[in-house]
Amino acid sequence: MDRRGFLKFAAGGTAGLVASPIIWNTLYDAVYWTQNWGWIPRLKKGAGEYLPAVSKICPSGTGFLVRTVAGTPVRTIGDRNNPVTHGSITSLAASEAELRVSPSRIKKPLLRSADGAYNAIAWAEAEKLLKAKAAAAGKSVAAISGDPTSCTNEVLSAILRAKGSKDFYFMPDEEQPALAAWTSMGGRGRLGYDIENSDCILAAAPVLESWGVVAGNRAAFNRHHPVGAPSTQKLIYAGPVQNNTAAGADLWLPIKPGTETILMLGIAHLLIKAGRNAADFEHGYTPANFKEFADLAAEYTPEKVCAATGVPAQRLEAAAAMLLDAKAPLAIAGSELGSGGGAAPVMAALSINMLLGRIGSKGGVVCLPDHANVVKGAMKYSEIMARPLVSYTQDVASGKKPAPAFLFIHAANPVYALPSDSGMKQTMQKAGFTVAVASFFSETCAEADLVLPATLGMEAFDDVQTPYGSGRITYAFARPVVKPFGEARPAGELYIALAQELDVQLGVKDMPDLLYQHAFALGTPFRQMMEKGTVFTADSAAPLPKMKFNVRSLKAALSAALPGDAPVLAPVVVLGLGTAATSVPPFAAKTVTDYQICGKYSVAQMNGATAASLGVRDGDGLRLTAENGATAEVIVSIFEGVMPSSISLVAGLGHTAFDEFSRGKGTSVVSLTGITREPGTNLPVWGTAGLKAARA
Amino acid sequence: MEERNNTTTPAAAKKCCCCSWGPFVAGLAAALALGWWVLPNLMKVEKQQPIAFSHVEHVKKQGMYCEQCHFVRADGTYSGAPSTAECATCHFTVIGHNPEESRFVNEYVRAGREIKDEWLIYQKQPDNVFFSHAIHLSAAKDVKGPEETAKYCSICHIDVASTDVPPVYRENRLSGYSENTMLMWGCERCHAKHMAAGDTAASNACFTCHK
Repeated sequence: MDRRGFLKFAAGGTAGLVASPIIWNTLYDAVYWTQNWGWIPRLKKGAGEYLPAVSKICPSGTGFLVRTVAGTPVRTIGDRNNPVTHGSITSLAASEAELRVSPSRIKKPLLRSADGAYNAIAWAEAEKLLKAKAAAAGKSVAAISGDPTSCTNEVLSAILRAKGSKDFYFMPDEEQPALAAWTSMGGRGRLGYDIENSDCILAAAPVLESWGVVAGNRAAFNRHHPVGAPSTQKLIYAGPVQNNTAAGADLWLPIKPGTETILMLGIAHLLIKAGRNAADFEHGYTPANFKEFADLAAEYTPEKVCAATGVPAQRLEAAAAMLLDAKAPLAIAGSELGSGGGAAPVMAALSINMLLGRIGSKGGVVCLPDHANVVKGAMKYSEIMARPLVSYTQDVASGKKPAPAFLFIHAANPVYALPSDSGMKQTMQKAGFTVAVASFFSETCAEADLVLPATLGMEAFDDVQTPYGSGRITYAFARPVVKPFGEARPAGELYIALAQELDVQLGVKDMPDLLYQHAFALGTPFRQMMEKGTVFTADSAAPLPKMKFNVRSLKAALSAALPGDAPVLAPVVVLGLGTAATSVPPFAAKTVTDYQICGKYSVAQMNGATAASLGVRDGDGLRLTAENGATAEVIVSIFEGVMPSSISLVAGLGHTAFDEFSRGKGTSVVSLTGITREPGTNLPVWGTAGLKAARA
Repeated sequence: MEERNNTTTPAAAKKCCCCSWGPFVAGLAAALALGWWVLPNLMKVEKQQPIAFSHVEHVKKQGMYCEQCHFVRADGTYSGAPSTAECATCHFTVIGHNPEESRFVNEYVRAGREIKDEWLIYQKQPDNVFFSHAIHLSAAKDVKGPEETAKYCSICHIDVASTDVPPVYRENRLSGYSENTMLMWGCERCHAKHMAAGDTAASNACFTCHK
């Protein structure tokens, strides 16, 4: 074939191929082939179910539905049948299906070797080691729990008591200072707030974001604020930053950080001036020291309160008028950080409730019973709450108390969550042997000798007993609706097995038995809770306490120095950024805004006047130096929703452990704070700090 | 300069014409054969289903309905091919004389092996296609009985209801998908037709099928 013939053959061949379907079919096949790339997510096919469960990583134990496909959890959504949340869900609980397979999830027991590296070991070896160390420690054992709503605390505390130790502590939270305030004013049992039935709430706490039963609070807020209809509840929020709670509030009282008590006393003064006094009490008792309290409150005129807090007198009067007009007003106080708050703001808020006759009333302050113990030898909940962890760790660190030979840390990350002067790290270093039982590899795990992988709420039996902030008794089971991840094991079963190994008589044989006994004690059908995931709720029938004003402690707390004109830290907690024990959920990473973190730097929000006084502009770098010497480099963002002289930083960043999504991102707010003692109560407090700022 | 001779005899001209089209026709024929028959067959590998399941036996002889094995679950998901456990509700032991049934009982039911994992799906769509059997079956309320159901399902699927042995599964070597996989134009043609008729609000917009 000559050249011309070959060209003709090629032309014929081309025409033939074009006239055949092979080219088009190959293109189609190539399109389908692109769907085989490994990085494309694969769908799980199979039967789908919506199973009621509870979150054990969300601080208030949010109930939700776990959507499973062929047994694999794919998402968590609100449960409309849940009598606490009514279909609401927190941003943290909403990310639990993804957190279950987070890169920082601990898959196997890990034992630290001499060079500091962690080696995976078998459960049998871990349990043998656990028993040997616990037995050898004698009575020198201590435990820290980050889950105050769980019955596993009973098991752990019973083990400690059986060994002769009282050193069982809860991680600092909102309830500890609140309980101190409540009991100091004559309250009994636990303090509760009937938010659902109140028609006007004064909240010096982020009730719509991180305080109390967040999902329940939001559900109540939604019901009282229907779309296209008048709202049936007023919300007054007092806080230094226009956060999510301020955005939903009818009235925002922007205050300087740490001046909540003064604000409350200013409102109390206006209420007394309007004629509210002990005679208003519905329940027929009069605190003997009303006059003493009235004299104290009288000092806090609107002008004085304005000077101290920054709230204009008219706004203060508007807030008092809203409370006076309401049929069921309620005052709440807490801390912006969720821990480290003082008792004085709660005392002042309770005083307002007393003036308004709201103790024991519908939509007011509720007296809840203590958690019932069913495990033999378990420590009483209120007794544990009354012992601050920080006091213990500071004493151990300073040598006032001996370090424990065996330290148990359950579902907590105190190394990250507590200020550096808490002595937590030193306590772990001094302790003979430390065991961290956790779901995610945290900063605390990185300091522990043995790390044991724990299941999540949707993977094992556990429970949620009435969380702080609730106005009713609530009880929910955590049920295993999906398989445990990796080799994670239920912490409760682990502790019960340890107790049996140590010959500690608990009176329960396993977790279902423990849950059954709790359900029986409450008189709720166990089988229904176990099979259908129903939640028990009941109004409290606890007797009404005879309350009195705690004027002495209030006076002492008010003697503390007020923040001056120097910049003060104003932390903001966003549950979407996780907790100390979870860090930032990968699912929520896309919800983190440029106003919270920019690259690897936290964003410091401040108003224009503060920025001008510091000589910085939007987008500038700023070096913050705290009173404890800690430094942080941040990016400036101008936001007029921050009080003058306040620098707002979002909490939950600045981790040194966990995974690539959290490690080395931003600044830990807690690292900038230092511990002081609240005058009057001597409680360890932190959460705000004076800052020195210079352009970086 | 040499003068060019452009004169040809008629006989030579005829010969040249045949010679000039010959290579073209040969190339065309070879390419057509290649494009229509050789390459398509080379691109595909034939596979057999793990069990020679007879729809004729189950539907026509035993009187079963399609929905007994292929059903929409309460949550809206589609069951697809039945699992070993579902088959075992009848075939927990050998109940007929077909050697394939006996093999199924011994190798799958008794061995606890999942047939669903091995069954080849003729029209499996990629994960980026969101297809709801529940929605599409809701348009078949008036369809009654196995024959009408088979006819309705055959609008998209190959007709397996009248087969005594499963059709050969031909898998594309490049993409890994069956040659019977429905392509996008097949979906679009039907959606366009029913949109025009006002039967559906599901347009041919991308997000109707791709989430």
